Amino acid sequence: MNRFVKIVARASSLLLILTALQPAIFASVDDAQSFALQAAEPYVKQGFQVREDYWGGDLGSGEKKAVRQQLFKGNEYWFWLGTEVDKAKVSVHVYDSDGKLAEEPDSWEKGHFAAAHVIPKATGSYFIIVSVEQSPEERTHWALVYGFR
Amino acid sequence: MMPFIRFFKTVGVLCGFALCANAINQLSTTVEDVVVPLPNEIFGALNKLGTVNWRAHVRSDKGPNLTERPRIALLLGTVIADGFIAVQAEDAETVKNIGQRVLTLAKGIGVGNSITPHAKAIIEAADKRNWNNVRRELDRTQNSVQQAMNEVHDEKLSQLVSLGGWLRGTEVLTSVVNEHFSADGAELLHQPDLLSYFQKRLQGMPEFDLPIIHEIEGALVQVKPLIDIGDRRIPPETVKKVNEITTRIGQGIVTKD
Repeated sequence: MNRFVKIVARASSLLLILTALQPAIFASVDDAQSFALQAAEPYVKQGFQVREDYWGGDLGSGEKKAVRQQLFKGNEYWFWLGTEVDKAKVSVHVYDSDGKLAEEPDSWEKGHFAAAHVIPKATGSYFIIVSVEQSPEERTHWALVYGFR
Repeated sequence: MMPFIRFFKTVGVLCGFALCANAINQLSTTVEDVVVPLPNEIFGALNKLGTVNWRAHVRSDKGPNLTERPRIALLLGTVIADGFIAVQAEDAETVKNIGQRVLTLAKGIGVGNSITPHAKAIIEAADKRNWNNVRRELDRTQNSVQQAMNEVHDEKLSQLVSLGGWLRGTEVLTSVVNEHFSADGAELLHQPDLLSYFQKRLQGMPEFDLPIIHEIEGALVQVKPLIDIGDRRIPPETVKKVNEITTRIGQGIVTKD
């Protein structure tokens, strides 16, 4: 009987641990993407077309990643970054090919969401730098979507 | 954000593109590949420069029945771009035909199942003349085709879809700017990194030993120095030349050997 109780207790503990770890185990870039899309939602009403394609991956706290993007003068762009780790703090900034900050002052950061607004002064390549500033997780999934009008 | 600028100042404001890219490389883990813009990103910018007669650029012929998968992928990219042109022209009949054509081509490269719902949605939205929904579904179509290809490790075909779309978009962009030249319109051609991206991708496809692929490689070599001119303005003769090159390639894509 004692042995049976021990097995049940061990199994329950294992189940509890697995339940606690579930978000970390099963979370993915797709989850991060759904948060990035959530940040984009209000802008769709303003006429921004959000691309289906997106960038994603995972970063440790303090790590950055750069992505390159062709932007066209005449269009207006928003880049939205999100992660499913709600206690994380993320940022996104856009630079032109000379390394000058190219974003508008209404770009914003709110915990696990961030967004950068760009009205390109020239057609060409721009660099979008995404960063996980802080996170309780060792690796934090991120996804970056963009829209234009 | 400030350390980034300071970092740039330390490497020199006069840095060329490559040095800037290196600087960014040092700053972050890696610089990801260029994301290929949709044709309607360019068309949208073009529209803001003045009225464009999009109907003159609508193409509704069904095109050839191809058997080689790389050729189908290229054609699929151009047909999706044609869909965006038909949306600009608000030509519902052509959009519906393109919806069907996209489905046929997607089946030809084995990814028809993932496209069926999008093709239906394109046709329904065109019937309702809901152009925003058509645009979204065309984007979803391209994305789903490419995801389905990537899942079966056909990334190279997926890249050819993007290339086909870019070539058709550039053909129409140069045609529009050639008709009514403006410096701002010509500036939209300033896409040297995208061009380098496609060149690298094509170099990684030696197994696609097809005349059209070689023609495209040659065309990109011709176009690169014309548009990679730094801060200088792109003149009318360049626009005309790029239009001639992309029109010739476009004909090659939609014509059976």
